[in-house]
Amino acid sequence: VKIRGAKKIHYDSGPNMTPLVDVVMVILIFLMLVGQFGGMQHYLRSSLPRSEKGLGGVKAPTALVPDEPLDIRVDSSGDGKWVAQVGSRIRTSDTRRLTEALGQMREELAGTGTSPQSVQVVISPGKLVKYDVLIAVYQAALDARFPKVAFARSH
Amino acid sequence: MPEMKEGGVNVTPLIDIVMCMIIFFMLVARIGVSTGADSTIAVPDTVRGSRIDDLGNTLTLNVRADSKGNPLVTVLSHGEFTAVGVEESRNGKTVNPLADLLRECRKRNSDFKVIIRADREMPYQCLEPVLLACTQAEVGSVNFNTRVATP
Repeated sequence: VKIRGAKKIHYDSGPNMTPLVDVVMVILIFLMLVGQFGGMQHYLRSSLPRSEKGLGGVKAPTALVPDEPLDIRVDSSGDGKWVAQVGSRIRTSDTRRLTEALGQMREELAGTGTSPQSVQVVISPGKLVKYDVLIAVYQAALDARFPKVAFARSH
Repeated sequence: MPEMKEGGVNVTPLIDIVMCMIIFFMLVARIGVSTGADSTIAVPDTVRGSRIDDLGNTLTLNVRADSKGNPLVTVLSHGEFTAVGVEESRNGKTVNPLADLLRECRKRNSDFKVIIRADREMPYQCLEPVLLACTQAEVGSVNFNTRVATP
């Protein structure tokens, strides 16, 4: 049995999509090249210490209870090598080790009833320490779950 | 089977995908909006960090070392980067135009925030006067701009 119209030529006479595809592709490439995306960068929030001896010499409010200071001294030999020192126990050039040591200190402080929120980590760098190194130390303090980190005057 | 003429490639799935991508880029991309960040400055990479949603309340300070090793701070003003002095000596008096600028911004906007976009190779001696100016101007929020690194 022959189906009627089976041999008929079907003209695919829908709308011509070629100009649409051209324009859409141009828009896509434009957006990909020109657009700035917020996901590529982020920010480390600093809490500037407010103490009379602190950076800038701004007087602290009278009602303010000062935080427990935790100083991290960072020195550089000038050829890119650096060393971070916390108290007399920790002296390292490895950010992972620094994080572990700071984490241990946090636990010790917690044992004495001091919460990390009431500890102000103060990074005290040498004049020639690179910013890249300071940010790595800063991140190590944040990784050790100390929320308040700031920079002090250079030594 | 019916005979097809002008069969060609089926472009419908292509258009579907491309349209989805266009809508995505239109929603995500910020076009024609400048945060004042100098893209020539190489910032450090960090895994940690948070986003700032209200960039309208911020001032980005682009910090690098000049040829003499002194801090060079630039801010975006009227579409171009302008240098702002840090601790200058004028007529025998020490002035700090950066601290004055920050103080003025803070007076105008109580939610004022500073974003520091500094060169990763720069020594701390170039960053210190900028932090000092922020403290002198009593800026409550200072944020260090970094690039997202993969953990």
